[in-house]
Amino acid sequence: MVDLVLKGIRKDFGATRAVDRINLTFPHGKLTALLGPSGCGKTTLLRMIAGLEDPTHGRILLGDEDITALPAHRRRFGMVFQSFALFPHLTVADNIAYALAIEGVDKAKRRARAEELLELVQLPGYGARRIGELSGGQRQRVAIARALAQEPRVFLLDEPMSALDAKLREDMQVELRLLQQRLKITTVVVTHDQREAMTMADQIVVMSHGHAEQVGPPQQIYSRPANAFVASFIGKANFLSGEATGGRFRVGEFTFEAPRAPSFLTGSKVTLAIRPENAVIGGKGPNALPARITFIRDVGSTRDIYLSTPVGEIVVEYGAGESLPPMHVGEDVPLQLPPETLHVFAREPEAAA
Amino acid sequence: MRLRWWGHGFMWLAGLVLLMPILVVSAAALNGGRSMLFPPEDPTLARFGEFFVSEPVWREALWNSVVIALSSAALAVLLAWPAAYFIWKSSDRLSRVIAGLMAMPFAVPPIVFGVGLGFMWAFTGGLGTIWAGILSHAALFAALPLVTISIGLQGIDRAHLDAAATMGATEGIAFRTIVLPQTIPYTISGFFFAMVLSFNEFIVIFFVSSSSYATVTLQIFNSLRNGFTPTMAVGAIAFILVSVAAFSLVARFGDLPRLMGADQTRR
Amino acid sequence: MSASAAEEAASAPGPAHTDASGAALRLGLLAVLLVLCLVPFLFVLAISFGHKIEGAGWEFGFEFTHYARFFFGAAWPESFSQLYWQRLGYSVYFAAIAAVLAVALAFPFTYFLTRLSRLGQTIWLVILLSSLSLSEVFIVMGWDILLSARSGLPALLDALGITDWTKEIGWFRWFRDVGLASPRNFKFKTSGFATVLTMAYLVWPYAVILLYPALSRLDPSLIEAARTMGARPLTVTRTVILPLVRLPLVGSSLLLFVFLLGTYVTVTVFADPSQHTLAVSIYDSVRGSTLNAPFGAAQSVILLVAAGGFLLAGRRLSAAAAS
Repeated sequence: MVDLVLKGIRKDFGATRAVDRINLTFPHGKLTALLGPSGCGKTTLLRMIAGLEDPTHGRILLGDEDITALPAHRRRFGMVFQSFALFPHLTVADNIAYALAIEGVDKAKRRARAEELLELVQLPGYGARRIGELSGGQRQRVAIARALAQEPRVFLLDEPMSALDAKLREDMQVELRLLQQRLKITTVVVTHDQREAMTMADQIVVMSHGHAEQVGPPQQIYSRPANAFVASFIGKANFLSGEATGGRFRVGEFTFEAPRAPSFLTGSKVTLAIRPENAVIGGKGPNALPARITFIRDVGSTRDIYLSTPVGEIVVEYGAGESLPPMHVGEDVPLQLPPETLHVFAREPEAAA
Repeated sequence: MRLRWWGHGFMWLAGLVLLMPILVVSAAALNGGRSMLFPPEDPTLARFGEFFVSEPVWREALWNSVVIALSSAALAVLLAWPAAYFIWKSSDRLSRVIAGLMAMPFAVPPIVFGVGLGFMWAFTGGLGTIWAGILSHAALFAALPLVTISIGLQGIDRAHLDAAATMGATEGIAFRTIVLPQTIPYTISGFFFAMVLSFNEFIVIFFVSSSSYATVTLQIFNSLRNGFTPTMAVGAIAFILVSVAAFSLVARFGDLPRLMGADQTRR
Repeated sequence: MSASAAEEAASAPGPAHTDASGAALRLGLLAVLLVLCLVPFLFVLAISFGHKIEGAGWEFGFEFTHYARFFFGAAWPESFSQLYWQRLGYSVYFAAIAAVLAVALAFPFTYFLTRLSRLGQTIWLVILLSSLSLSEVFIVMGWDILLSARSGLPALLDALGITDWTKEIGWFRWFRDVGLASPRNFKFKTSGFATVLTMAYLVWPYAVILLYPALSRLDPSLIEAARTMGARPLTVTRTVILPLVRLPLVGSSLLLFVFLLGTYVTVTVFADPSQHTLAVSIYDSVRGSTLNAPFGAAQSVILLVAAGGFLLAGRRLSAAAAS
């Protein structure tokens, strides 16, 4: 069991700090997604793992081996680049066998291994083609095969789906995940797409401004977000600004119960969050408030009801299967925010939002 | 991949070799005597006075150089502008023939073009006149503004022209208000390129001047059999300074890496 | 053409080149360029068949005397001379070595240049362009001092004791044998070494400028991909960078080679008279000592044909290698 471990990683580009205080363990054989908006430092972190950038501070360990100073060409980490970076002057097979050619593997073995990998990525018989003849999806498969050719100790993918169209992207996510589970290879995927991360990952690292905001399995990150940033970045959420008062939370003239929230000092500023699918129209009990329907968005698989309430706009989402009484824009309805689904976070300074 | 120390080392070494002859020439201009010694003997600035003021041979040569460089560069821009514009508007056969003609003097050994121009001006009676020199240099260097102006035109988003048309702009107005302002830096760059190269050109002007006038480079070459003198080195310094100034201006007001063909999407 | 007419023409439907004024302007431009850029070459071609009048110049005609003189010598058929073949040979020899040398040294430099920051690149480009535009006469002047026996490299080597040292270990004889030393000291003028060195220096900034676009457009992730697959920097250069810029490398070498075929000042100053090139011979015929314009024109045509032949062969070769 060799885990990839990052200890106190920091990276400065001149005066800008791209990555800071990163302590992470990438478990052996698992797929970890580095998830965050553009500019959050996730790609820089991946490039440091690959050896393409040197960390300003901190250590990178693979099991007991300190690889911080090991140059990229001696790490034996396979990497799939955002642009795929396939060599236009080589054939598909020569691209895949590039690492083996460098190692000095003889030609027959190289050819056999390339064909084997092409079968693995479901492109048998494509070896003799030129890169220019391939479609986007085929290029990605070749890039994956090429990165796997040297039997990498760690498999790295930088935004691997961003060059593909939406339909292909969903299919490739599933396919890549199945491939990774079959090969049981330690994998790190950089992505800004939360659906992609939730589809593929065993573990998600949510990043923002060079920091890791939360680390955990996908479902835990969705259901127990550590802060307002994670709640907003993973899935959708309604946010209300309030204040703690004796174990309860006041927003405007309403007071809400949130039994799963940690305790706050009375008077401290908080942000309340609720997922659209958790709020209930027509619900009775605690945390009820009046609302008026302003807009109904029916996209087939889900229906979003936009509500105007005394504490601000709230969106409620219903699945296609859930039965609902007929509703009209302008109608007044009661709304309930079930206490056990209400998340409460300390209010962050404005700049961090 | 970042640049390692040996990369920097190689670049500095190359830069040093590049500057060495220039530095030596500059130092030689300080010689008190008539011979080009390095390090200079009896350092003096008297040679600068000789070059710019007291010796009419050099003063006239400098004047001729300046007149030919400025006029031919202006003429080259005037020739290149319509050509670049036509190629940008439609790359049909005629436009490509025009571009090919402009590039031709640049693609052959310059001595052959110089010989040909000499014959042509002798035939038409222009040999030895300043205007023949100006026209010759304009033809030789029109390819440079053609390239820079074309790069500038390629940077214009054609949607802007369509947008202007929907707002009522005629092609003439769109040209004045959209095309021209965006290409002015490239036009000026092209002018400077042509000017600096004309200033320094030797072999073509040698054949078309036919010894009836001299530019600075010609004057230096004519004095060659008597050997180089420190006064010539002053000319070299003046020319280098003009080049550095012109290209610094190009870099200051335009995007030099892009003009030289760098990919502007990076960095 | 009045302003209102221009406005009218511009506002007429359809692209500008269909307009009468646009078409007229294009044809006018074409005429000017034909005169300035093509007619000179036609004169060279026509006069190469012309007749030389003893002591008075030349007249138009149609004779092959001058080509025959180039190919077989002036005294042919009594005797055969390969003098002008030799001149062409030295033109090709110096230009080829200098062009390849310049491109080989420009390649790593340009690669490093494209890895610098935008500001760093701009500063280097200003230096390169200033050096590139510097007149050949100044460059020759600089190297003349640098290579001169009294105050240049030979004096420096002498002062540093390197001259004596090479004499001690016996290498000095070798320098003498190849003509780079007098019996007692190093002597770099006149020599093929000085000629090639100055010619390579002359076009080196051109080589950088020519390679710059290709190398700066090189996708850095290709290099990084190769590194993650175990290639060390030199292997990356050999297996990724060089194959990707092979065409620009060959193209630049050919272009500079053709440009150097016409080098005149460098050769007259630095090359031994026995190694003078066709360019010098053209100069002598047209304006210099021998004064035979039609023969100069014929030599120009041959130089041009040789240049075209090499360009074509180079393009064929690289196209064949690419497929």
